[in-house]
Amino acid sequence: MLVFILKRLLSGVITIWFIASATFLAMHAVPGDPLANPKAVSEEIRQNLASRYGLDQPLPKQYLVFMGNLLQGDFGISFTQKNRRVNDIIREHFPVSALLGVLALVIATAGGILWGALTAIYRDKWPDSLIMLLVVISISVPSFVFALLGQLAILKLNSWLGFSLLPVAGWGSLAHMWMPALVLGLGTMAYLTRLMRSSMLEVAAADYLRTARAKGLPGRRIFFRHQLRNAILPVVTVLGPAIAAITTGGFVVELVFAIPGLGRYFVQAVQQLDYTVIMGTTVFYGAFLVFMVLAVDILYGVIDPRIRLVGAGGE
Amino acid sequence: MTTAQAPALNVENLQVEFAVRGGRVQAVRGVSMAVQAGQTLAIVGESGCGKSVAMMSLLGLIPTPPGRVVAGSAQLQGRQLLGLPEQQLNRLRGAEIAMIFQDPMSALNPTMKIGDQIAETLRVHVGMPRREAWRRAVALLDRVGVPAAAERANQYPFEFSGGMLQRAMIAMSLACKPAVLIADEPTTALDVTIQNQVLDLMQELQREMGMAIVLITHDLGVVARMADQVAVMYAGQIVEYGSVEDIFARSAHPYTLGLKQAMPAVAGSGERLAAIAGSPPDLFAPPPGCGFCERCPYAMSICQRTGPQLLALDAGHSARCWLQHPQAAGQPAPVYRSEVQP
Repeated sequence: MLVFILKRLLSGVITIWFIASATFLAMHAVPGDPLANPKAVSEEIRQNLASRYGLDQPLPKQYLVFMGNLLQGDFGISFTQKNRRVNDIIREHFPVSALLGVLALVIATAGGILWGALTAIYRDKWPDSLIMLLVVISISVPSFVFALLGQLAILKLNSWLGFSLLPVAGWGSLAHMWMPALVLGLGTMAYLTRLMRSSMLEVAAADYLRTARAKGLPGRRIFFRHQLRNAILPVVTVLGPAIAAITTGGFVVELVFAIPGLGRYFVQAVQQLDYTVIMGTTVFYGAFLVFMVLAVDILYGVIDPRIRLVGAGGE
Repeated sequence: MTTAQAPALNVENLQVEFAVRGGRVQAVRGVSMAVQAGQTLAIVGESGCGKSVAMMSLLGLIPTPPGRVVAGSAQLQGRQLLGLPEQQLNRLRGAEIAMIFQDPMSALNPTMKIGDQIAETLRVHVGMPRREAWRRAVALLDRVGVPAAAERANQYPFEFSGGMLQRAMIAMSLACKPAVLIADEPTTALDVTIQNQVLDLMQELQREMGMAIVLITHDLGVVARMADQVAVMYAGQIVEYGSVEDIFARSAHPYTLGLKQAMPAVAGSGERLAAIAGSPPDLFAPPPGCGFCERCPYAMSICQRTGPQLLALDAGHSARCWLQHPQAAGQPAPVYRSEVQP
């Protein structure tokens, strides 16, 4: 198991290096640089930055310097925000995004499993058809549409109630989080619902469920201990990519709901060609995703004993 | 245990149908059978003849809908099984009547420890506390010949071989000492040496616990070895029923003869096996006459028109064939011939 984790960590580091290099090249391939706009930065900062990051140096040299700083965990200083270190930007704003993401993921997973199990139980009856229709809508409509519809719904709700039950936008309390987290998790929830449904139906036809019935187990026990647990396995596998979908989707939702998350800085930085912020946030997100996928794989091993042994015995 | 006692399982006129698009398939068409405690009844027949469906319908294991028990009765130690509400049926399944299946690799839950799966039966039926049920599960595994049972109980199905899994299945099904064990092709998925061990084990446990076994198989070798009584099934009906000697030495139905001729013999190796030409009738629309007459070398004109009843030949031996009718004398009857070797 330890060897498995170490191996995965090593390949994760290589992945991050690749992300960093690709981003670096793509960024420099874009015409212009962060110092091109004289208003954005003063002359002395420009001098400082140019000498510290060697923007006047040839590209391979810059790459080496950048990698050297990265290895020390230093993402550098923002080009556009005076004296603001990228590490600080991440430290201050990532927790907001992470909290939103985790909440969205919890909603998506719990909802996906619940709706998926329901559609399987009511297969080909009206609850199944209704939920599957909503699933198709949730997968095909982009999240910014739902974000706006969500805000509209909150407005209507508040005016109907006569007091403000949920804030329309902003950040600060749990009440702020529900709607953006729901919107953010909706696509993933729909996807997981579909996956869970087919997985439940597959398990329902399995020989071991017939065995469980032949043993005379009560229906509830068969459902939870034998069917649900086995049906969840494929859902856990896609949690890694699901986390990726939710984090990247977060940029849009954060903008619409005016949430001070990392996504906003990421988008802004790309618009302003803020090299250090682009690099910092990209590498950070990359590392985060690699880590989450690894965490999901370990979790999968805990749930499915077959994977556990293969992981350990494979060495 | 005398034969005068009520049979452990007594099935009468069982009829099972499956609703399909545009009609119904009559999978089981009036099957009656009985098996005494401590005895083994083998049900033989080719794929699709309804042997598994008949037994699974007793346990409520056929998917309903589309499946449905149309008529019949099934008494387990005098208690009616058919039509029981789910809750009462659950009290009997796994406790009084248990079932093991063909493919042990897929018949056990892949994400649950073997020991837990055995203990689960005890906990649900006997209400045994967790620890005690686990100890009992280990003892059962040991009893069915799983080596290092205490360790193996902690393992998952994928860590077991096929033969060991079938032993675990047997341990699980016998945990509550059922009166009847239904074994649906328990050795078909296993290789020959393992088959033997598993069959030995089943006989041994039968002697020890005195349960009745209903053995579903298409392997006449297994039948000869295990069975006291044999029911030969064809197209949803029993075509011949009798003791194992009746079936092998005094076969009275052309289909039974055909099955025997299709059986490979070590002595005659090198010869082509005699296959029964043709295929069974479509049970979507069963023929008015005998289901076998299209393939039967002895078919007469009456066979096309009217299906025969089960005709009693000797005590306990009966065949569903016009050739056995008293008025069929003079016909080229395939019965009691010396060509037949037990």
